[in-house]
Amino acid sequence: MTLCVVDIAGMRISSNPEETLVTYSLGSCVGVAIYDPVLRLGGMIHCMLPLSKVDREKSLNRPYMFVDTGMQIMLTELYEAGLRKSRAVINVAGGAQVLDSQGVFKIGERNFTVLRKILWKNGLLMHTQEVGGNKSRTISLEIGTGRFSIKSGGKLAHYDLP
Amino acid sequence: MIYRDRIEQHIDRFPEMPSLCRRLIGYMDDPNVDFKTIREIIQYDPGLTANFLKLANSVFFGTVQEVSSLQAALVRLGTGRILEMVLSLSVSSRLAHDLPGYGLQAGDLLRHSLWSAIAAQELANLLGMKEVETIFTVGLLHDLGLLLLDPFVQEQRVPFDEQRDDGNASFEQTERKILGIDHAEAGAKILAKWHLSSEIVAGARWHHQPESASEHQSLIYLIHLADMLSFSEGIGTGIYGLRFNVSPESVKAVGLKKHHLEYVASKTLDKMKELEDILT
Repeated sequence: MTLCVVDIAGMRISSNPEETLVTYSLGSCVGVAIYDPVLRLGGMIHCMLPLSKVDREKSLNRPYMFVDTGMQIMLTELYEAGLRKSRAVINVAGGAQVLDSQGVFKIGERNFTVLRKILWKNGLLMHTQEVGGNKSRTISLEIGTGRFSIKSGGKLAHYDLP
Repeated sequence: MIYRDRIEQHIDRFPEMPSLCRRLIGYMDDPNVDFKTIREIIQYDPGLTANFLKLANSVFFGTVQEVSSLQAALVRLGTGRILEMVLSLSVSSRLAHDLPGYGLQAGDLLRHSLWSAIAAQELANLLGMKEVETIFTVGLLHDLGLLLLDPFVQEQRVPFDEQRDDGNASFEQTERKILGIDHAEAGAKILAKWHLSSEIVAGARWHHQPESASEHQSLIYLIHLADMLSFSEGIGTGIYGLRFNVSPESVKAVGLKKHHLEYVASKTLDKMKELEDILT
């Protein structure tokens, strides 16, 4: 079993059954894992911010930083690798926030809103979603089995294929 | 408050400021000091000189033109920046340790400190706040107290975990409840012992309660907001996750909007990674 780390503002796709994709410490960021059980093909992304229009220049050399540009590329690459919408198992975690009565720091909520819109427009449904609160989360996806896991605050939860 | 007493004894035994920084700060307070003296201090350490030049050419510290000699870097950057860079190079190894009590892996606190320092500077630039010269240094050192408190947090992990699972308190309130002192106050005591300037001490002391500061308010608001942004982006979150209170006064005082935060976050990540590579 090889751990392949998806960095913050990073994305990885794998069809190697020996690999597990993992991304650490999702605060307000959203982590999305998409899996095709027939092809044993999976992808994972770790997006920091909702929309690329906040920094166009950055979105060109770091498209995965943003939910809009990042998801678009990940979905395109997965479709090209054979992913079928009807088979896609989509797991989402993150979108937390600091304790802010003013609402300026609601980056997590905005990340999740944009993500939901993109999935909806693509006709994709979420299988698992664990978002919000003020926890930091680490997620992983086993390419061989499609098992998705969320670790936060010392607790570990597994989500096997539906 | 048995812990507070024990912790205060530990402050006296906490390592001194790196000697090179001590000497440099001494010289910088002297209006007659010339670059030659400073150059000789830095040149004495070849490893430091090499990394100093890398820092001088980094995106964050650098200027348009590349500098290839220590002399050129000193002239171009000025004494304030030099001190920030030497401090970064000297304290980075201490900040890079893992802190098992707080649930931080090796490198986590250094990344959090660099993020806070860079984001605070970016926020100041974006909002046109110029009166905050020491802001990078304050950002870098604001969580030094974690190094002191980590063994005590580890000893009390059970009550800390219970508070996290049951309570609504922010983490620094939990520290005060369980240990009788929080990491902000502990850090400020160390920095005062290091004879650093009042901005730096106050910045660490009040970074979670900026409205309580009686001076250097703008600087402390910015440090606080940069710190909160760092947690938001998951940089340096440990056992406490994102359980920190954002000060409403800070948001109002600097006129902070969501797009400011998002712009600064987008700019900060790559600069942080570059400095981290140089410093580790």
